[in-house]
Amino acid sequence: MPERVLMEGSAAIVEAAVQAGCRFYAGYPITPSTEILELMSVRMPQVGGTCMNAESEIEAIGMVWGAAGCGVRSMIASTGQGISLMQESFAELANAQIPIVAVNMCRGQGDYFQATRGGGHGDYRFIVLAPSTAQEAADLTQLAFHLADKWRNPVMIMGDFLLSHTSEMVSFAAPALAELPPKEWAVTGAKGRRGITLSPLGPSEKLSTDVAAALANVTAKHSAIVSEEVRVEHGFLEDAELVVVAFGFPGRFVKYAVRLARERGLRVGYVRPISLWPFPRHAVASAAATARAVAVFELNAGQMIEDVQLSVLGRVPVVAIGGISHDHSGFGVGPLLNVEHILKRIGQVYSGKEDP
Amino acid sequence: MHASGALEAKDYKSDLKPIWCPGCGDFGVLSALYRALANIGRSPHEIAFVSGIGCSSRIPGYTTAYGFNSVHGRALPIAQGIKLANPDLLVLVAGGDGDGFSIGGGHVPHAIRRNIDITYIVMDNQIYGLTKGQLSPTSPRGTHTVTSPEGSLEDPVNPLLYVLGYGAHFVAQSTPADQIGLTAVIEEAIRFPGFAFVNVQSPCVTFGDPNQQLKAHKEGLKSLAKINYDPSHRVKAMALAQTYGKDLYTGVFYRNPNPPPTFDSLVRERQRHMAPQAMPREKILDTFLPH
Ligand SMILES: Cc1ncc(C[n+]2csc(CCOP(=O)(O)OP(=O)(O)O)c2C)c(N)n1
Ligand code: SF4
Ligand SMILES: [Mg+2]
Repeated sequence: MPERVLMEGSAAIVEAAVQAGCRFYAGYPITPSTEILELMSVRMPQVGGTCMNAESEIEAIGMVWGAAGCGVRSMIASTGQGISLMQESFAELANAQIPIVAVNMCRGQGDYFQATRGGGHGDYRFIVLAPSTAQEAADLTQLAFHLADKWRNPVMIMGDFLLSHTSEMVSFAAPALAELPPKEWAVTGAKGRRGITLSPLGPSEKLSTDVAAALANVTAKHSAIVSEEVRVEHGFLEDAELVVVAFGFPGRFVKYAVRLARERGLRVGYVRPISLWPFPRHAVASAAATARAVAVFELNAGQMIEDVQLSVLGRVPVVAIGGISHDHSGFGVGPLLNVEHILKRIGQVYSGKEDP
Repeated sequence: MHASGALEAKDYKSDLKPIWCPGCGDFGVLSALYRALANIGRSPHEIAFVSGIGCSSRIPGYTTAYGFNSVHGRALPIAQGIKLANPDLLVLVAGGDGDGFSIGGGHVPHAIRRNIDITYIVMDNQIYGLTKGQLSPTSPRGTHTVTSPEGSLEDPVNPLLYVLGYGAHFVAQSTPADQIGLTAVIEEAIRFPGFAFVNVQSPCVTFGDPNQQLKAHKEGLKSLAKINYDPSHRVKAMALAQTYGKDLYTGVFYRNPNPPPTFDSLVRERQRHMAPQAMPREKILDTFLPH
């Protein structure tokens, strides 16, 4: 087998999901996530799984909820708009502790709040992973299924138009992941046990009447996830006077711009959060501790910058150097995603010409 | 369990006490369901019972089956996911008229046209019970409720016609006032290979109009079994379904004598057919080449 094959980020996610044992997929077409649905309709039946071209995102998430409740590794993908429609079910299935993997191929990076804060009700959280390459998308997809089962908590992969459609070399090494306990909670029909009610009010032998206790029980794991599941990449931080924070595909552009800045003698470093929730607070805080300023590059009106500010806690100025940026279609790459432009903005903040 | 090993109605009864109002029709649906399940004899752990939200949607919790208490209107998508992921399970869905024909109404046609092997029981009280008495999609025109104090201005959905129109292959109606008949249609619906629909006229004694719905009907309760009705014609069934809201016919309105294969069985067939097409790992790339 060749070590690596050329494929788009969407295809890498599909193949990684198949290899991770995903056997149920439901979706509704929407750019730029449609390829995942199309590829799944080929791959799922080939491996004994099921792919449903659902009537809407609302039906799709219901189906995934049911399939995942049976203990089958299940995935759904959409774009911010479709993810908006799923929020009620997201909130409830998270509280019912059903592990699913949801992919959001955003248009731009405008869905950071939606992913990390959630648009649904209540105290639920999704673990959110933001790959910057097709390879990382494949690796994080495999990890996502593991984390979902490990924590019995939904995991979101947050990508974008570029990740979805850029072809890159990918390999599919089986990841070294710890064994997980059997899904004793699942609707499997196993003999010798009573029926279980998979409900937001606690998956128990019967519906709980103590709503507060049931929800407190479900959310208790959040702090453990925060301490165990942070993932982050950084570089050039040792003597960095300016730290640039960026996530996802644009994180690669920032990394490159930082390298160019270094070649020009600027002491600049970068932090690329890979897990958006839990957010790498300590990594950002310690990078900022020795810097003069922190710059945030994101393709929206300023969303992740709030997490950066919460990490830095006012010790140094935090400056936004990104912005809303789309092509004419509204889906694709806008003018701000340009290394020269990012480099110029880094230079402005570095030289103090741009006051926060 | 009976000494013979046969399951009895009480084996399907959970230790959770129903909190429905005394006299609620849903009690009668539950007891008919216990009996129908005992007649069928599948163990509770082989049954997944899915509901949305509503008074009626509490029903899975009162059984020993696997219960899925989900969100308002979404029981059918979840049930389809369950049946496709775990086809060995017997999958039941129950809920209210609001759950099924207003907020979740958009899901019904698609569950029907796929003909997934699930049984859908609607407890039609022509009112929103749980939220205390608002107008429902099956409330008759002119119904006075807290949201239609002067009487409603719109016609109700006809659940029987709705599902017949979308091509359901098994359609029945009954009422808890006829325990024997209700048990029989639930049992038959569960045994039917494919999507089966049972509309149960289950009155809400607190916020509904049980007089209008049942007492009046008791006099006019018309058992289809007794009038020599032949349920094998969809168009005749649709004509009969026009009586919804006027007469209360009970029994099987339509049963396709030659039901088509279920979606779940077709999915299995597709998997068998496509498995050999799965690429060896070294040819994965080919799968992703543009056609
Ligand atoms: C998204 C959403 N909207 C509204 C509600 C509030 N709600 C709960 S049940 C219900 C209607 C119940 O009526 P029906 O489905 O007929 O069931 P019944 O209580 O009559 O058995 C409503 C409006 C909700 N739970 N979720
Ligand atoms: S409110 Fe109506 S539907 Fe709800 S439990 Fe009471 S009688 Fe039954
Ligand atoms: Mg109702």
